Amino acid sequence: MDSRNKLSSIENTAPTDNPHNLNNWQVLSPIAILYFGVSVFKHLFSNIIFLIPAIAVSYKSILEHPFIWLPGILFALALLSVFAFISFKVYRYRLTDDNIEIRSGIFNKKHLNLPFSRVQNVKIEQPIYYRFSGHACLKLDTAGSAKNEAKLIAIKLDYAQQLKSQIQQHGQNSEALNKQQHPTADSNEFQSESAPNNATQEIVLNRRKLSDLVIHGITSNRIWIFLGGLAPFYDRIFNYIGEGLTSLGINLTELFSLQSHSILEVALYALSFTMLIMLLLVSFSVIGAIISFYGYTLNKLADKYIRRSGLFTKHEVSMSLSRLQMVVQKQDWLDVLLKRINLYFEQSSSFGKNLDSSASSSKIIVPSIKPQESQALIDDAYPENSLKVLVINNEFEAISKRFIFRNIVYIFMPVWLIGLSFTLLNGKLTLALLASILFVTLCGLVVLRWKRWGIARDKNFVYLRKGLVGVDYYCFPIYKLQQIQFKQNLLMKRRLLATVKFVLASGSLKIPMINEKLAYELIDQGLYQVESSQKSWM
Amino acid sequence: MSESNFSNPIVTIEQLPTISKLEQQPLSAKYAPINRVINLSLILIVCFIASFIYLQPFVDLPAGLQNFLPFFTWAVALLGALFTWFIYAGDRVKSYSLRDLDLHYSSGLFFRKVVSQPITRIQHMELKRGPIDRKIGIAKLQVFSAGGEMHTFEIPGLPLEIAQQIRQFILQHKDVVKHG
Repeated sequence: MDSRNKLSSIENTAPTDNPHNLNNWQVLSPIAILYFGVSVFKHLFSNIIFLIPAIAVSYKSILEHPFIWLPGILFALALLSVFAFISFKVYRYRLTDDNIEIRSGIFNKKHLNLPFSRVQNVKIEQPIYYRFSGHACLKLDTAGSAKNEAKLIAIKLDYAQQLKSQIQQHGQNSEALNKQQHPTADSNEFQSESAPNNATQEIVLNRRKLSDLVIHGITSNRIWIFLGGLAPFYDRIFNYIGEGLTSLGINLTELFSLQSHSILEVALYALSFTMLIMLLLVSFSVIGAIISFYGYTLNKLADKYIRRSGLFTKHEVSMSLSRLQMVVQKQDWLDVLLKRINLYFEQSSSFGKNLDSSASSSKIIVPSIKPQESQALIDDAYPENSLKVLVINNEFEAISKRFIFRNIVYIFMPVWLIGLSFTLLNGKLTLALLASILFVTLCGLVVLRWKRWGIARDKNFVYLRKGLVGVDYYCFPIYKLQQIQFKQNLLMKRRLLATVKFVLASGSLKIPMINEKLAYELIDQGLYQVESSQKSWM
Repeated sequence: MSESNFSNPIVTIEQLPTISKLEQQPLSAKYAPINRVINLSLILIVCFIASFIYLQPFVDLPAGLQNFLPFFTWAVALLGALFTWFIYAGDRVKSYSLRDLDLHYSSGLFFRKVVSQPITRIQHMELKRGPIDRKIGIAKLQVFSAGGEMHTFEIPGLPLEIAQQIRQFILQHKDVVKHG
């Protein structure tokens, strides 16, 4: 059954001389040319961004000489397509029962050899231009660096699915070797695993509706990054908008001038104008969220979590429960108001070096869910966790009040005093007032920050709470720790305080200025659990 | 390594070994002095170059630079001496500790820091020796875990044979052999 499927899909993907021999090098479907072209274009485009200011400055003179840029662009496109075609021509892959080999590269020849047992993570990606032909791109991550990623660029979607389950089965088989010594217990516990057809066994844990994504777009502040990127063009953009509005019969300078309108009117205009711009920016963010997370589903298959989403390019990320390092529950201030939560299932950070929270990263994010849904998902991943009880009873241990004192007296106070004396000496009272207001606000924020810090633990987990206006919860099993650091300066030592840093494969977490005794207990308990449990962190 | 390093009995949580009572082993006696010599010579070289530029008769320097150079030289000399002393004092309190199941490294004069690395989480190790290290027979032991490059566990200035012994100890450790 298995082998027949494989053969038929090979005939679909590529005409080989001898389809009965699986060990032959195979070529991709020609649709891969498009993929190579697009990826080269994307690569070029990310570099062109640095050229945009230069182009923007001289675009008029460029436009006046079409005989220069038109052939230039045509030549570049021709080069691109030749490059894509050659890339396609030199790409070969070969599959054996437990191994994948890929040969690629035009100038830098690359020969990649990856045993299935080393594969950490399987991703299926379907760009929009593959959707008509039913192809997909299969990405295999290894535990090593992000560069060691293997990509099967254009294979049929069902073949990709089949290959994925084959690879994952391979990983499971080697892991479950010692489990099979107790076949009765195994078959009772892992019924879904032993079932031959995995596709029907997936349980849907969560779906995101369009309305949820809209909320996610509003609450996630990705727009500020966008604004930062636009900063060099503000002047030009505003001039452009101004000209556009003038041509429509609206004169901004006249609209906002106090000579012809009352203050109230101008204020209303300004308010509505800002609202309009904000609305525009928020809608960008919403569009971004919808592109990333459209059709979001989080499924569970045996001990694997599978996330699928994407409007144009469909992403599929799967992660086995044993690879999960930490669960993070994040709430921004806007999330707090709307009672929504972003939940992150974090795995080893070497799998997804890119820190973006978009659809392509390999950490699993569940965007803007309701608190009870979040708790249900956490309970599903870590059945023994007591986060809910801890949050309800507020059993988190607060950090020392010295935290407030230290930050205000040693950091903000000197800066404020210097600023104050300078402004007062120069007789700038408004500036002094502004500085003082800023100082008071910062002090308030420090107090808020202090209030959010908290740590709790039970037999198997450490829970951390932090945040500013919003509040984030971190929860990790103690045996997943990689390293623990104890930090204490002389001032803290006098007051029996210490800072503890937990290092996990997904990143590090710090809790500042807790009781020295608690710090030692945390470290000793952590080391004890890591060393006595004998459980692998992977 | 003394015999006592290898006893790390774990019975119950109440009787857990605690890192507040570690048996600290000092680094090589040559480490702190050689670091001081290296730092001092670097400062001397910078001062020497600055004075050479100031005193040389070949090229006319801009007036601003000419006035700035003596000040710069003195600042480098004074601050350099101060920092060298700090680093020297800091080097002298660095210590490590090896238990049956984990490694610890303590450092810091004002900002004390103890890093604890369970041996079972070690991915790989490196023994690093620069030219001066080779000359005087010391080595730097680096231990990598999955915590990332930012959190490389590092013990500098170990006597060579002890560094090699620790390396062998970790390589033959039952936890590493099992999970490796």
